[in-house]
Amino acid sequence: MNRRPFLRRLMTALARTPAVGIGIASLLLVASLGLAYHNEGQIRGEKIREVEVQARVLAASLAGPLAFDDMAATHEYIDALKASPDFDAVGAYDTKGRLVAGFARSGEPLPPTNRIEPPRVRGTEIIVTTPVEQGDTQLGSVYVGAATESWSRRASRYLGIAIVIVMACLLVAVLGAFYASVSAANRRLQAAIAGRKGVEEALRQAQKMEAMGQLTGGVAHDFNNLLMVASSGMELLDRTTDPVRRERLKDGIRQAIERGAKLTQQLLTFARRSPLSPEVLDVGERIRGLQELLARSLREDISVELDFAEGLWPIEVDPSQLDVAILNIAINARDAMPNGGTICIGAHNYPAARQGVHDMVRVAIRDTGGGIEPELLEKVFEPFFTTKGVGTGTGLGLSQVYGFVRSSGGDVRIESTPGKGTTVFLLFPRSSQPLPRGNRGDGAFSRAEHDATVLIAEDDEHVATLVSEMLRELGYKSKRGATAAEVLRMIEESGPFDVVLSDMIMPGKMNGLELAQEIVRREPNLPVVLMTGYSDAAASATAEGFPLLVKPYTMEALGDVLAEALRTTGPPAQNAAS
Amino acid sequence: MGSQARVASRFVTGRTRAARLAILLGLLTALRGAAACAGAPTEHAVEARYLQKFAPFVQWPPTAFESATAPLAICIAGPDPFGPRLENAVRDQHVNGHAIVVRHVDAVRPGMGCHILFVAGDGGEGAEEALRAITHEPVLTVTDGDGGVNGSIIQFVMVAGRVRFTIDQNAAQNSGIAISSKLLEQAVNVTR
Repeated sequence: MNRRPFLRRLMTALARTPAVGIGIASLLLVASLGLAYHNEGQIRGEKIREVEVQARVLAASLAGPLAFDDMAATHEYIDALKASPDFDAVGAYDTKGRLVAGFARSGEPLPPTNRIEPPRVRGTEIIVTTPVEQGDTQLGSVYVGAATESWSRRASRYLGIAIVIVMACLLVAVLGAFYASVSAANRRLQAAIAGRKGVEEALRQAQKMEAMGQLTGGVAHDFNNLLMVASSGMELLDRTTDPVRRERLKDGIRQAIERGAKLTQQLLTFARRSPLSPEVLDVGERIRGLQELLARSLREDISVELDFAEGLWPIEVDPSQLDVAILNIAINARDAMPNGGTICIGAHNYPAARQGVHDMVRVAIRDTGGGIEPELLEKVFEPFFTTKGVGTGTGLGLSQVYGFVRSSGGDVRIESTPGKGTTVFLLFPRSSQPLPRGNRGDGAFSRAEHDATVLIAEDDEHVATLVSEMLRELGYKSKRGATAAEVLRMIEESGPFDVVLSDMIMPGKMNGLELAQEIVRREPNLPVVLMTGYSDAAASATAEGFPLLVKPYTMEALGDVLAEALRTTGPPAQNAAS
Repeated sequence: MGSQARVASRFVTGRTRAARLAILLGLLTALRGAAACAGAPTEHAVEARYLQKFAPFVQWPPTAFESATAPLAICIAGPDPFGPRLENAVRDQHVNGHAIVVRHVDAVRPGMGCHILFVAGDGGEGAEEALRAITHEPVLTVTDGDGGVNGSIIQFVMVAGRVRFTIDQNAAQNSGIAISSKLLEQAVNVTR
């Protein structure tokens, strides 16, 4: 268990500096030198023993000749050793230690008298003296001087292995240095990448800011027109009493406001900050419901065909965003067909081709327009990319599509043949949830089934008044508190309330979200619905699990959210009390 | 003796060192021969030395010794040609734990406690008979071949002016002593 961290530490150390590699190489070298020295000692010991044995053999052979003055035999035995180059000097001595016979090849001559001594090494010579004995009677002695291995022979013995070791050490050192330099380069690269990422992030932000700046003109123009419609409509409304005309003016104003809201929504979707509230739905059914709106947005010379396969899988997406996406693509198709044509919207199940990939539902929107040049195909999803004239398009249509599809876990592809038409494919992952049953679809508002009381937490008096009007229309009773403290006090004193509807931005120490949390802490059964126009605030409210109304909202949405909140949080307080 | 030296020098021409030694020996002998009595001392000195040196190469049966430290007796029968030389040579010498002693015996007979028996010169009458009497005793019998006494295990002979010896292996086996091959190698002739 301990070895891995140690190895890792070693590798890290190795990577830090080439010195470690070189150090290891030197250690190896020293170790092999030590081994060689040890070996050399062993070999020398063996050689000494070998010479001793030979001296003993000689001594045994010389026992008779020395005892009985057989010079011929003595010389014969000594000459036999002379034949071997290993022996430098061999001498036979009598009982008194006097030299009888022998030879000295080179260097020092034979000592004239011999003394029995333990083996010793003198220079490059091993000297062994052995008594010549028969039984326990000493008959003389021998002196044998043998050459240790010569330097050249020793060197040749070690040369091969030395070369291998040196090469290995070099290799280790070079590898260590290389590894260190590579990892240093890697660290530099990592730092460079990190730096570049930061720069890219900053650049993206800068581009966004610049784009926003450029957008301001276009959006301001659009808004200006809408405001113009609204303000002049209001003015005209005051001056006329003709109900038909008043109705038409109100329609115009409502449409202008809706367009403004839609534009804001598109911008938020582009920024990908608008909270998505996905629902499980049948994409065919949803688009069929959109047909009326499509027909109104498109021109008369453009026909819309729908072709949905049977048994489409359900998908889980934000329905209003889906509507916007389909509308955006359809409007682009319309603009690509100035002389009229057909838009075909179809959807098919798109089963996963292999394991690990989701089943998808593929929506295809095909037009018979002029198509897109191949080099522009890559750019169409970029924000603010537009081929339309100034004031006509914002370049945000297809980026809304892109942002929406990607945040729904799907994908978008575009295929186009210039002169033939363009097809946009939207791929959505199949949902494992079943379709909710009993979709209302009658356009009626969710009305309160009894006189439920709503406590409104809203600092803006105008908004509060408007909201309480809408609540009255929906069949609710309402009370209003302007600050968090007041709202809490009212819950204590003026209750009971069935639901609290709170703005997220509130004056005072507590904001709407904190107020909601405090209410849940005090009254777990009292539902709280939050409302906001800020996408950041909306995200944090959804994260906390509170139902949310995104401003501006319709009466229908208000009614739905309140009805849902009352249904899921349990019976109303009044019922619980009775 | 001078002629002997010359013969020796011719014989060992190939072995310069030995030759020189022989010449030296011969010269010494000649000188000493001139100074004192004739030739014999050198020959007998060598023989005395050899008598003592036979001991390590010979193995007696354990019964030959009274104890592990009992002395090893070199007996001289008849006239002693060595004089004090043998006594000097064996002084403080031990063979396998046995101190060597020199004894003079008048007559050879069985069970006289000798380990090496030297019968000098002609040995006198009845020497050969006496040797036969102890044929089966563990005694290394040595005679001076020049004396003409037969029946011993080892006989000294002169070869090229040097003292050598012959060995009768049969006799050794009969007497129950074992002679080392190293000693056999040194003999100029071994009777088997």
